[in-house]
Amino acid sequence: MHNQQSFWQLNKAVILFAMIALTMPLWFPLINGYSGLDTKIMIFCIFLVGFDILLGFTGYLSFGHAAFFGIAAYSTGLMLKHFSDNIIPAIIVAVIAATLVAIVIGLLTLKRTGIYFSILTLAFAEMFHSMAMAMLQTWTGGENGLTGMPTPMLFDIKMQGSAVFYFTAIMAILMFYLAKRIERSPVGLMMKAIKCNQTRLEYTGINARKYKLLAFVISAMYAALAGALMVVYEPFVGHEFLGWHQSGEVVIMSVIGGVGTLVGPMIGAAFMLYFENVLSVDLGEQWLLVLGLIFMFVVVFMPGGFMEAVDRIKKRFITTADGE
Amino acid sequence: MAILDIHQVSLSFGGLKALQNVNLKIEQGTTHALIGPNGAGKSTLLNVLTGMLKPDDGSVMFDGKPLLDVDSFDINQLGIAKVFQTPAIFPEMTVLQNVTIPVFAARDGSFRMNMLEGFSKQRPLIEFAEEQICELGLENHMHSIAGSLSRGDKRRLEMAICLANKPRLLLLDEPTAGMARHETEKTIELLQGMKDGITKVIVEHDMNVVFSLAEKISVLAQGQIIAEGSPDEIKGHPKVIEAYLGEAQV
Repeated sequence: MHNQQSFWQLNKAVILFAMIALTMPLWFPLINGYSGLDTKIMIFCIFLVGFDILLGFTGYLSFGHAAFFGIAAYSTGLMLKHFSDNIIPAIIVAVIAATLVAIVIGLLTLKRTGIYFSILTLAFAEMFHSMAMAMLQTWTGGENGLTGMPTPMLFDIKMQGSAVFYFTAIMAILMFYLAKRIERSPVGLMMKAIKCNQTRLEYTGINARKYKLLAFVISAMYAALAGALMVVYEPFVGHEFLGWHQSGEVVIMSVIGGVGTLVGPMIGAAFMLYFENVLSVDLGEQWLLVLGLIFMFVVVFMPGGFMEAVDRIKKRFITTADGE
Repeated sequence: MAILDIHQVSLSFGGLKALQNVNLKIEQGTTHALIGPNGAGKSTLLNVLTGMLKPDDGSVMFDGKPLLDVDSFDINQLGIAKVFQTPAIFPEMTVLQNVTIPVFAARDGSFRMNMLEGFSKQRPLIEFAEEQICELGLENHMHSIAGSLSRGDKRRLEMAICLANKPRLLLLDEPTAGMARHETEKTIELLQGMKDGITKVIVEHDMNVVFSLAEKISVLAQGQIIAEGSPDEIKGHPKVIEAYLGEAQV
């Protein structure tokens, strides 16, 4: 930890992720992934990496992150529709809007821990969902969703097809790198200490409340960026973006992949989206049954998710190699 | 000069008067023991000092600054650290990470948004944490997961955490409770060997520990200080004998 560490050692995971992500259009069709699904996977990688900063580092399980995802998606949609078809101002406004909401919700919900925190976040998200469905119907399109956006533009580039993919992939790589930087900073250490022993942390001179709020807001910003990119990917916002189903999906992806590892939740996201879209062609609705079984298997036998499996294989491989 | 001045502190839990008009002065650089029968209010008093409990009445001054209505983390930033009865550490982290946290806290205060700070800037602090760990004899466990240490080593680690941000007052709540004799002796050595200048307040049941460490002893019974003095004065104090024997007869 204290020795000189090379750029490669510190950023191994990011470089590997970048290589896999940027070559995705080449190999993804070979495993029956349709074009566009790769973009969606990149978007959810952003969402999940951010979510892990909250759930994985501090241990606070939010059931309401769809709120930030959805608020950013609606903001982006409205910006594209009424202000400019350039995505840059739209994304910036969307992330700022969601961040402001996150600060307020964070201040209110982080007073509680455990299940009470989870329920409170869920309640806030549902509040926004019903607002989108009723009160703000004229803006959000209610049940029908927000439609009628022009083709999103990145200055002169039409955001369609591979342009969208590479834009989101580069964003995902940057966001993953940022999360890794946060993880090895003093802030990351404090966030992880919250999960370990909050009392000791407070008695060691650290204002745990502020670090919790920071983790909450950062994860909300990631969710917001993902929500904004969803609209760039497909110029449509449905009310289900704000729904509890969306919040729950993120939690399941995290658990399957491996909470607290940053990489794990991204694998979880890729796995779920891929199987949901590719396998459900053959299995139809029964895909959910398979997902349920996988979820149960992971929770019972591999509480560390896919990453735990990777670790176990690595360890076995290393010990056999040493034995010879 | 008194570093800690507790003045007329009272605290009730419902009808139970846990502390009644407690007055206590702790002199700078001394080791001061708080003893007394179970339920006398010793731990309650420590919890008042760390900001966990707010008294109904009275005042507490630390180095001339009022302590009541200050948050726990700010109390620690002022220079008061607490060693818990059960070692309070960060069990899932390595020993080095455990001790790096207070070192960061000493540099950055209770909150700082240095979330892009890399290892090169952290290196001097990490090296300082390593020195602290070596000083407490945990150098062989530098990268061990803290939760896997023996109880005695966990206690050492907690001391390392508490000492790393250089406190001026160390509160110890029964540091040898549940320890085997050799572990207790090691803990006494550890506390005796601690650098001068740190004032210590120790709550303890084990009279061996108390008499080998304390320069001054205060006796609490039913939320009141009933006697105060040097170890020799306390040993033969009639009120102290009464308080302890009274309990023994029940």
